[in-house]
Amino acid sequence: MKVLSKLFFSTLLIAALLARSLAAALASGPVADESAVRHLLAQAVLSSGPAQQRLLDELAETGSKVVHDVLTAWARGEIYLTPAPDGSKIPVLLDEQLDSVGLARAVRIDNGRFLVDAAGRESRYKAEDLDAADTDMRLRRTIQQVLDMLALAAPGADTRVSAVAKLGYSQKPQYIPVLEHRLAKETDSSVQRAIHEAVALLQLGDADPAVQVAAAEALARLKDIGALDTLKRLAADRTLKPAMAKAVKAATSSIEGHIADVNFLGTIFHGISLGSILLVVALGLAITFGLMGVINMAHGEMIAVGAYTCYVVQNIFGSGFVSSITLPFTFNGRPISFGCHLPGLNAAPGSTLYESYFLFALPLSFVAAALAGLVLERLVIRFLYRRPLESLLATWGVSLVMQQGFRMIFGANNVQVDSPSWLLGHFTINDVLFGYNRVFVIAFAAMIVLGTWLLLTKTPLGLFIRAVMQNRDMAACMGVRTKRVNMLTFAFGSGLAGLAGAFLSQIGNVGPSLGQNYIVDCFMTVVVGGVGNLAGTVYSAVGIGTADETLQQVLGSPVMGKIIVLTIIILFLQWKPGGLFASRGRSLDD
Amino acid sequence: MSRTPNQLETWGVAVAALVILVVLPGLNAFTPVASALHISDFTINLYGKYLCYAVFALSVDLLWGYTGLLSLGQALFFALGGYMMGMYLMRMIGDLGQYHQSIPDFLVFLGWNTLPRFWLPFSSFPFALFMTIALPGLIALIFGFLAFRSRIRGVYFSILTQAFTYAACLLFFRNDLLMGGNNGFTDFKFLLGYDLRHPATQRALYLCTGLLLLGTYLLCRWLTTIKFGKIQRAIRDSENRVRFSGYATAHFKLFVFVLCAIIAAMAGAVYVPQVGIINPSEMAPEKSLEVVVWVAVGGRGTLLGPIVGAITVNAMKSWATRAYPDLWFIFLGLLFILVVVFLPGGIVSLPERLRAAWNNRRRPPEESSDLPLGPAKIGAPSADHS
Repeated sequence: MKVLSKLFFSTLLIAALLARSLAAALASGPVADESAVRHLLAQAVLSSGPAQQRLLDELAETGSKVVHDVLTAWARGEIYLTPAPDGSKIPVLLDEQLDSVGLARAVRIDNGRFLVDAAGRESRYKAEDLDAADTDMRLRRTIQQVLDMLALAAPGADTRVSAVAKLGYSQKPQYIPVLEHRLAKETDSSVQRAIHEAVALLQLGDADPAVQVAAAEALARLKDIGALDTLKRLAADRTLKPAMAKAVKAATSSIEGHIADVNFLGTIFHGISLGSILLVVALGLAITFGLMGVINMAHGEMIAVGAYTCYVVQNIFGSGFVSSITLPFTFNGRPISFGCHLPGLNAAPGSTLYESYFLFALPLSFVAAALAGLVLERLVIRFLYRRPLESLLATWGVSLVMQQGFRMIFGANNVQVDSPSWLLGHFTINDVLFGYNRVFVIAFAAMIVLGTWLLLTKTPLGLFIRAVMQNRDMAACMGVRTKRVNMLTFAFGSGLAGLAGAFLSQIGNVGPSLGQNYIVDCFMTVVVGGVGNLAGTVYSAVGIGTADETLQQVLGSPVMGKIIVLTIIILFLQWKPGGLFASRGRSLDD
Repeated sequence: MSRTPNQLETWGVAVAALVILVVLPGLNAFTPVASALHISDFTINLYGKYLCYAVFALSVDLLWGYTGLLSLGQALFFALGGYMMGMYLMRMIGDLGQYHQSIPDFLVFLGWNTLPRFWLPFSSFPFALFMTIALPGLIALIFGFLAFRSRIRGVYFSILTQAFTYAACLLFFRNDLLMGGNNGFTDFKFLLGYDLRHPATQRALYLCTGLLLLGTYLLCRWLTTIKFGKIQRAIRDSENRVRFSGYATAHFKLFVFVLCAIIAAMAGAVYVPQVGIINPSEMAPEKSLEVVVWVAVGGRGTLLGPIVGAITVNAMKSWATRAYPDLWFIFLGLLFILVVVFLPGGIVSLPERLRAAWNNRRRPPEESSDLPLGPAKIGAPSADHS
């Protein structure tokens, strides 16, 4: 009883919400396709007996939202009959909005317009003064059935799947014919599968043991994760027949095995997406560290530059970006402060323009980080090409300055970067969830690797970069402008970090110390891959990312996973000190 | 100048030792609080902290400046030493904690009723002292053996040590290690039966630190002047040549690595009772980098450099974090960049540079032949202004 009353109240709540949206929908004028449906609806309200039944059945196939809204109102007795001048009756709904004397306008069911009197003015009524369209117990039950069928006939396959699942969990066997009726017409394979699952789930409660066993076997075959709870509850039942108990047990273990598989695949997928972010970051590092021999501890801050660029671009598409810094010094008695105000485009959240901000943010984050890298190279790094250890220290100083800079400009807390809606969804293959954002990251990382490879092997700049990397002095002798090549290479490596930052802003938090979380991992990735070898970086990034994520899941604690990965890496370097693909050279000290 | 720089250093150290070990504590103990000469308890405590840092910096300098091994995990050993001492201090709290039980508060909080087995021997001070040296030494021995055996050096050694300390830091953040989780150990009360909050105890600790610094300095000085020191520097400058000359360089490096780990651990052990807290953030990767900054700013490859650097940078930090809390990191970062790029010799190389600049001014400038000292030339005139 408790469940029933709960169900009743929630239906009421939903209906109340629907009535509001209905009034809005009705007032906005009918769509061409809707007029036929509305006509049928009005007829159904006015007719009775078998004719009414036939009309309602017809309506159930439409899957239209109007039908749903009107029928819901009807079952609650909120459809009224108003007399027309010719003596017939016009079914109407009362508008939610009341005027000053408590009267509401009436919306005609048959065309969705407001009811007008002979003079063309909108008629206003009070609910108590009108006759409600009659409903009895039988009609209400029919209406409810039509509503269920309606949900099953909804236009979107996803909506239908969830409607089917809802019926499946209802534990009411009377839905089985409804579901089977739908199955005959259903063309979408995912919905068909959902119907099979729902029917089997309902049949578990069947009185006939043979049907029950068959249902359990069907569930085992379908590997329906949602059925696990029901099955477990059944398995706990001591009065179960042996054959049934066996079937339930088989189904449970089959589903549990499936869940383990799904989790495993999901973990691998997460790991690969993490690995591909690591890959993009590490690729930048592999270029600056591996190819140029510069240890850039500020590489992590380049990631943050990319992520914050995303944030700023997002704000420019929204309400604009404002920031100001006040230094604790005074000049001529006035505090020194800098301010910056970038006007916004004021695109509404959710609009196409706003959603497209990320497309602009991606190249900009590359450019911003590349520029930062360029400045860093000119100001600091160019003095340190022959002193790699000291480049490590100086760039750590840079990293401190930049982190504090972020804190002063953007605040010490994380900032909010919204994902565009086209990155938010996901698709499912065999119950494994693939988030669009992660798929996007993987695809983009693959493109970046390809692009970098093409740049290094197929362009003149790539030739110069490789020449300078192999022997800076010799390249200079041959006329390569090594300073310019250094500059461009460093900017490119930093730009890649910026791109990675743009991705990270879609997956995790953006804060001043964003880069710090990645810098240790990154250096490990490059070292494991083999310094100066991009292919090695690719393998080790994907490997470390996947191992990290998998171990975190398996051990149930992120920290232990990380510790184990770091330990494995340290031991791995015992075995292969030069990394996966050590560069072979004759130089002893390198 | 009749005296050689070496004699000059000896005199300087003797005077500094006198001031640090006799004058300052004396002024703290025997002058009235109102006197202008009085050194407050707070200041003594602060200086004690600086002296710990100086010992710590010396250990990094012996590794980096003299042997060419830039370890970015030295803070791990410092913190481990601190943790070992901290375990003893936790036991000494007795039942004066928040929960008034005989085991440390955080264990009560984690649901323990009895002391975990590995905590038991730490009630004894000699054992804690032994572990302060033994545990970091052992870890350094194992890690160093693995690293030097596979000839990991230069930048790779730095990255590996950083990863190692990062892993250890993550481990210590966990509660189930039973080492206090991210709060670490704090609320210490007694050391060898003396109340830690009493000024006399703090003064004694300060004196211990001063003596430790003096001892470490003398040890390092002795080590760097004997043949061992020559090999050390030869390894730094060209390891392969040393190896081809028949020296087992890995053994030398391993010895220095373990020695430096022990020195850092002892610094940590005297540090913890003075600051009254030890937690995993003490071994975070940036702490190791910070101590490298002190050494670089003071002047690496010298023995006075790290001491001067540690005290100068930390004194500046104490002042700047109060006066300009927002700008301190920017200031530290810029200082570091400028020192590394333009003044590789650090503060202690300034007098030498000034003299060179002065001589250059009097004589017509001659073009220096080679060497990537471009930035150094920029550094000299800028040093002239100061």
